[in-house]
Amino acid sequence: MSPLIRQHRYALGVTLRRLVSQPFSSIANFLVIMLALAIPLLGTAALLSLQPVANHLAADPEITVFMKVDATANETAAVAERIKRDHKGDISNVRVIGRDKALSDLKANPAYAEALAVLPGNPLPDAIVVTLAGDDLSARAKRLADTLKTWSKVDMVQLDSAWVQRLEAILRFARTGLLLLGAVVAVAVLAAVFNTVRMQALSQREEIGVARLVGATESFVRRPFLYLGAVSCAVSALGAIGLVALALDPLNAALADLARTYGAEFALRLPEPAWLAVFVVAVALLGAFSARWSVNRNTRF
Amino acid sequence: MIEFQQVYKSYGRGIDTLADVNFGIAAGEFVFVSGPSGAGKSTLLKMISGLDTPTRGTILVNGQNVGKLQGRARPYFRRAIGTILQDVHLLNDRNAFENVLLPLIVTGHARHAAEKRAHAAIERVGLGGKEQLRPEELSGGDQQRLAIARAIVNRPALLIVDEPTANLDRESAQRIAEVFRDFNQMGVTTLIATHDEALISDYASRVLHIEGGRVMDLGTRVPRKTGNRHEVRA
Repeated sequence: MSPLIRQHRYALGVTLRRLVSQPFSSIANFLVIMLALAIPLLGTAALLSLQPVANHLAADPEITVFMKVDATANETAAVAERIKRDHKGDISNVRVIGRDKALSDLKANPAYAEALAVLPGNPLPDAIVVTLAGDDLSARAKRLADTLKTWSKVDMVQLDSAWVQRLEAILRFARTGLLLLGAVVAVAVLAAVFNTVRMQALSQREEIGVARLVGATESFVRRPFLYLGAVSCAVSALGAIGLVALALDPLNAALADLARTYGAEFALRLPEPAWLAVFVVAVALLGAFSARWSVNRNTRF
Repeated sequence: MIEFQQVYKSYGRGIDTLADVNFGIAAGEFVFVSGPSGAGKSTLLKMISGLDTPTRGTILVNGQNVGKLQGRARPYFRRAIGTILQDVHLLNDRNAFENVLLPLIVTGHARHAAEKRAHAAIERVGLGGKEQLRPEELSGGDQQRLAIARAIVNRPALLIVDEPTANLDRESAQRIAEVFRDFNQMGVTTLIATHDEALISDYASRVLHIEGGRVMDLGTRVPRKTGNRHEVRA
């Protein structure tokens, strides 16, 4: 074993001994960093879970053409055929939903069944769902919707991608907010580690002095403190992951109830293991950086 | 081994703690630095061990100019010197054995070899069987021995000791001095600062006396035990 590896092993041993020798202080420190990290981690979990949903929806924008209530099934079929024929290059699918089918689907939802039962007839129109294909969908969808609105027997055209764009805007906002929150948490972690290392450096003043007296380099003096910062942050990051994993259970149970009312399945999930590994390493490096800064400032004696 | 050339040291306000110091110490010498408290003995020793720097002048130790040592070179320079300060600076959060082990860990020795050396150093200073005790559980004399073991465990060519007997009774002081003498006879250049005239009188040694910031070389004295106390031979 090389002298450098031996010294690293010694430094890690000193770090663990110091952590164990002050259990309450160490645990309190871990908790502060862990809770600070858990908040942006939970936000990231939510964003990463929502992003594929938004991507999927945004990839298949749809236009719904609502026919006038008096339009016959033949007239609806003719409009559908015309869309297929005139806009072949813009669309990937055209689907007709008859008014009877729409009513029966709606009745299947208990939330509407009671209200629909008292209606004398079927108030719903026939609808044609047009799935778009190709590039520049946003601009083409708007043009196509404007064209379809002018057609005979067409009552209303709804551009279904609008809410997806809104969702994407919300996600962009959330991403920016999360970045800012991450920066604030990083500063909080820096401050927590800086202070912990400062206290340790002051309490280890005698040991540092003796080490220098017997010929220790500044790297040797600094190393246990760097490990202290890195180990504290790595353990706290792992704790934060565990905490978020625990919190996701009740959150997902509540979210599932909400999603069911929209007839959808959605659940928050932790990021991929590789992402989490990068997170732990990044937080550990942040801790080591803060410790180095602190030990440089607080061991000048 | 040690060469002082027109060395001055002042701590602000222009008052020289040491002024125009010139002397040389050859390898293998046993030298006492005497003088009243506050005369500058500790300052002199700290400058030799690289813990302090001269305001002016040149200090050469093993051919290295101490005042010109770069920050990164200083630790490696210190490894070749065993330094025992007046306050022995032992670590009470670890036992005697671990205290002696520290310099070997600092220099990156393998665990097994380091432990062997630390045991040997502890035995050599007469602390065998007390390895597991913490410094605070040892007597003043034993603490001094432990500091010696820590200082010599890296086998330095130069041993610098500041007031080793300040807090010891006469008998303990003599035993500690004997330990230093033994190391000197093994070829370790030894420099001891003390204001204990009785201790100096007991050994045939060269004496450098500091007073008023000036260092006077009093030459080698014949030990009191053989008579002719304080007689200057050279």
